[in-house]
Amino acid sequence: MEFLLENILNLIGFLVGLAIGIMSLIGFRNTGSPTLFRLTLAFFSISAGFFVIWAGYMVEDFVIKSGNIERWIQTVGIVIQTVGYFFIAFSHSIKSFFPKSNYFRSVGFIPLFLVSSVQLEHIFRSVSFILLVYGAIETMLSYFENKNKGAISVSVGLAFLALGEFLGWYSFMFPDSLLYPASMIIKIAGLIALFIPVSKVPLTKIKFDEGLEDDELDDKLK
Amino acid sequence: MAEYRTHMKIIGDILATTRDDLQDEDGATVTYLIRKANISHSRISRILKTLVSQGLLERNGSQGSNKYKISQNGREFLQAYYSFTNFADNFGLSI
Repeated sequence: MEFLLENILNLIGFLVGLAIGIMSLIGFRNTGSPTLFRLTLAFFSISAGFFVIWAGYMVEDFVIKSGNIERWIQTVGIVIQTVGYFFIAFSHSIKSFFPKSNYFRSVGFIPLFLVSSVQLEHIFRSVSFILLVYGAIETMLSYFENKNKGAISVSVGLAFLALGEFLGWYSFMFPDSLLYPASMIIKIAGLIALFIPVSKVPLTKIKFDEGLEDDELDDKLK
Repeated sequence: MAEYRTHMKIIGDILATTRDDLQDEDGATVTYLIRKANISHSRISRILKTLVSQGLLERNGSQGSNKYKISQNGREFLQAYYSFTNFADNFGLSI
């Protein structure tokens, strides 16, 4: 049951991350926006992280057949996902602080780390949790500013992912309980909520602009 | 409190003015665009030069004064800009 849920979660995470990443990349290629570039990095990282864990489970299931995924594969996947969550939080920190504060412009964004001494995986789960909570709160605050209903769905999605990370991290204290399967179901719900507003963006007439060379994009970013 | 506008938003405002809010068929003057986009002359000059060089705006010189009009590429760019502004809004971000 747990194994099946892990596979479903990681496959959905890979596909949703890839879809949003591709959409962000198309946006970056069309507009040259640095925000869309950061979203591209974020969602390709999240997608790659889920893919690594999914591939690990597939290899374990069909090749190694030991009954347990290699711990280091899971850790690598989580680290890559954390990089993606960092870029989402980083984009919010730029929007919130950089235009207004020279101090934050000079020091950049330094996230608060909740250090755990147990395992590397748990450290990165806790970092992911903080970044996701920050992203969810900032997205919800932006909803109060612009009343864009899609922001509610994304905020709820990020909050579910955060809750899923928290329960996944906490479940190591109760290994045989329902906490871990519950965390995976919540994360699947979070990914679906994340994808709902993005799926409604009209892309019918948007294409990669062949005329925009790299140096022209650089000019736009200035 | 004044709203912070990104460079991209200023470009979007200029292109939208040259598409939807022209003074006449020849296009909009720099003075008109400064008033509509609410930015300084030196800054808008640099932006207009870039937009013309990238083919997003067309410059019509008549009787000693330049007028600016949106090109087909500019219209496509503006459409993409609006779509992805909405996309970024979903994440609580601005492009």
